[in-house]
Amino acid sequence: MNQTDFAGALELALAREEAAVAFYEELLGMASFAAQKATLKEFRLMEEGHVAMVQSMQTKGRVNLSPDAAVDLGLARRLAAEEKPAAGMSYQQILSAAIKKEERSGDLYRDLAAAAVDGEIHLVFERLAAEESRHKHYFEELYENEVSRDN
Amino acid sequence: MDIKDFIAPFAVWKRAFEKPFTVNKPIDERPGAPRYRGFHINDSARCVGCGTCEAICMNKAIDLVPVDALKPDGGDSGLRPRVDYGRCCWCALCVDICPSGSLGMSNEYLWVDRDPEVFRYTPGVEAKPWDGAELGYRRADGYRLLEEERVDMPELDHHEAVKSFLELVRGYSRQQAEKEADRCVSCGVCVASCPAHMDIPGYIRAVREGDLEQGLRLLYETNPFPEACGRICTHLCEAACSIGSGRSADGTPTDPVAIRWLKRYIADQVELADYGKALPRAEAPTGRKVAIIGAGPGGLAAAYYLALLGHGVTVFEKDEAAGGMLRYGIPEYRLPYPALDKDIAWITSLGVRIRYGVAMGKDLTLVSLYGDYDAVFLSTGLTVAYKLDVPGDKHPRVLDGVAILAAATRGEPLGLGRKVAVVGGGNVAMDAARTALRSGAEVDIVYRRREVDMPADPEEIMEAKAEGAILIPQAIPLEVKPAEGPDAANKATFVWNLAEMVQKEPGKRPVPEPIPGAVVEKTYDSIIAAIGQGPDLSYVAEGDGIEIRRYKPVIGPDGRTSRATVFAGGDLTNDRKDAISAIADGHRAALAMDRLFAGKEA
Ligand SMILES: Cc1cc2nc3c(=O)[nH]c(=O)nc-3n(C[C@H](O)[C@H](O)[C@H](O)COP(=O)(O)OP(=O)(O)OC[C@H]3O[C@@H](n4cnc5c(N)ncnc54)[C@H](O)[C@@H]3O)c2cc1C
Ligand code: SF4
Ligand code: SF4
Repeated sequence: MNQTDFAGALELALAREEAAVAFYEELLGMASFAAQKATLKEFRLMEEGHVAMVQSMQTKGRVNLSPDAAVDLGLARRLAAEEKPAAGMSYQQILSAAIKKEERSGDLYRDLAAAAVDGEIHLVFERLAAEESRHKHYFEELYENEVSRDN
Repeated sequence: MDIKDFIAPFAVWKRAFEKPFTVNKPIDERPGAPRYRGFHINDSARCVGCGTCEAICMNKAIDLVPVDALKPDGGDSGLRPRVDYGRCCWCALCVDICPSGSLGMSNEYLWVDRDPEVFRYTPGVEAKPWDGAELGYRRADGYRLLEEERVDMPELDHHEAVKSFLELVRGYSRQQAEKEADRCVSCGVCVASCPAHMDIPGYIRAVREGDLEQGLRLLYETNPFPEACGRICTHLCEAACSIGSGRSADGTPTDPVAIRWLKRYIADQVELADYGKALPRAEAPTGRKVAIIGAGPGGLAAAYYLALLGHGVTVFEKDEAAGGMLRYGIPEYRLPYPALDKDIAWITSLGVRIRYGVAMGKDLTLVSLYGDYDAVFLSTGLTVAYKLDVPGDKHPRVLDGVAILAAATRGEPLGLGRKVAVVGGGNVAMDAARTALRSGAEVDIVYRRREVDMPADPEEIMEAKAEGAILIPQAIPLEVKPAEGPDAANKATFVWNLAEMVQKEPGKRPVPEPIPGAVVEKTYDSIIAAIGQGPDLSYVAEGDGIEIRRYKPVIGPDGRTSRATVFAGGDLTNDRKDAISAIADGHRAALAMDRLFAGKEA
């Protein structure tokens, strides 16, 4: 995959979103009860939405993403979670894995943006990073409101 | 008859051409005295619509009326007083009594209009030229028709309290309770704020009149846990109470009526053996059967109201005793077990059967109940303690707050050691901290945000501090490390980063942001995590037909899940996560099931 041109950049983004779908898919295979499954299905559906979004950008040949990064609530930096799927993951574990996941994607896009020599590619990666920050923010808010209610 | 008698009527015609004796505005140059009792003014933002002014007015000159722009919410009825000057005698009793201090009188006394209807208006809502007048009658400083200070509750001294698990709050005597009940003006503003909509003015009146059986009857209409709630209720009603809406002479808020303590007084005074004289018995059996999962306040409230209606109730409880978090969470110095047992004993006296030691999902499946019961109520609360979620949080000296409190209830040794950190700022954190203090530990409460952000009841925070806990706010947990030095194996080092609060998004609460380099390490014998709890829903299988979203059964307004005969409530579904909301949920579900059985709904 060549990340130095537009198509290559989007291909990379697509691969990451597809990997995210696969991650939730794998977790779903291990899930044993309705609450786990419902949450994982919801998150998988969100990732499928992201796959569709990247595909539509590929078709249209342009990135129609907002450049505005979401506020960083700082959870990703300190949570101990690992992204490895494991059976019986609690809501807390699923959410912190999701936060970490989005953080890692955002970091990657930021690094690629910094490395990009082509102005347009730089912009594509910046916008992808901003998009990931919005996804991360969504999960961080869920974590704050539903898991870390007392701290 | 004299000729003058004929002429006189015609003689007045000459006056028609003279300067009139009456004038449009006769005494403009004579303003009312500075404390003249003229037309009313009302600071509508401060007024709480309690209607005390309406109640005191002997001329019936005041009516409380709805105001379009105002919506009723906790502590404000959304009504405002309308004054009828055809009746008002300008006595100003309404101003003297107004608990919020919003009502006053301007020194304006002239108002000329041909339309008699206009002399009835809502001050502070309909604009008038004297709005905002500086002069006029106000209640004099220090002059009060209502008692502003609540009757002190006898409590154990904090230094004494921390030495044992004895109950802190001693309860009112009859004289104290009646005096406190006298402060209530029966406005009813509090009722809407209570999740169970208890008849608060009704039971306070019963205290005042010494009719405790009537008081108990009113309590049980919507709450079968008066002993428990009389002690630990989050008392939203008191925040709404109109008596607490004013300002004392020194500018501090006036004390709301001690509603919670009065509830406790009623329940404490009536012996369980006498409950039968006051309370209704169960109706004749209907033949309907309901299974309730979880014997916490939510499940048992549903059980009580179902049993009253004649439905057969079996409660499945995984633990060895009933009460849920009221027993295994809240420590006995706040809620002694005999008080909780009294509430539960009355519920079971109605024929509610509790099967202890039966864990749904392990010993029984939900689907197996569907055939045997006409309906099911899920009220399993939040039993999973969330982890610190920082590197090292699996260290054996990192303990979970709910488990510590449950161990204390069971009388098991806590083994916390001498130095304890409690991480979190909610009820569990405060109770864990105070339990640790009672076991002789020195306690730090490490909280990520500011003290004002702590979700625990402010009274609990204040008491934890008074008992010796040290609060370390704005401390972001970073890591738990193995301790070094003597006895290191039985200790752990907690690392946190001090934070500053940053308003990152408008309209949202500020976010703790680590201050670079401000990292603190401290070694403890135990680190108790109390950051939050979640539900254990592993007993609900996909095939059970209950839609779940983000670890919560999805319910309608009556508590019904996506399966028509299964209802859910309590901490499991509501956002408030307190006892009275769980009780209200249980009551609501019981009524909905009754309607279901009566065929009034699909
Ligand atoms: C430490 C602490 C302090 C608190 N302080 C206050 C306070 O001061 N004021 C206040 O109003 N609220 C307080 N609360 C909250 C209050 O206790 C809860 O809101 C209330 O108990 C919720 O009632 P519930 O019936 O929904 O759940 P719970 O009380 O949690 O009861 C659930 C019951 O279900 C049982 N159960 C769970 N899973 C299963 C299963 N699979 N099978 C069978 N049984 C099961 C549990 O054993 C438990 O008995 C506090 C909570 C805690 C933990
Ligand atoms: S707050 Fe004062 S003015 Fe408002 S309704 Fe109550 S007594 Fe009347
Ligand atoms: S307790 Fe307070 S708000 Fe409730 S009826 Fe009495 S005075 Fe009014």
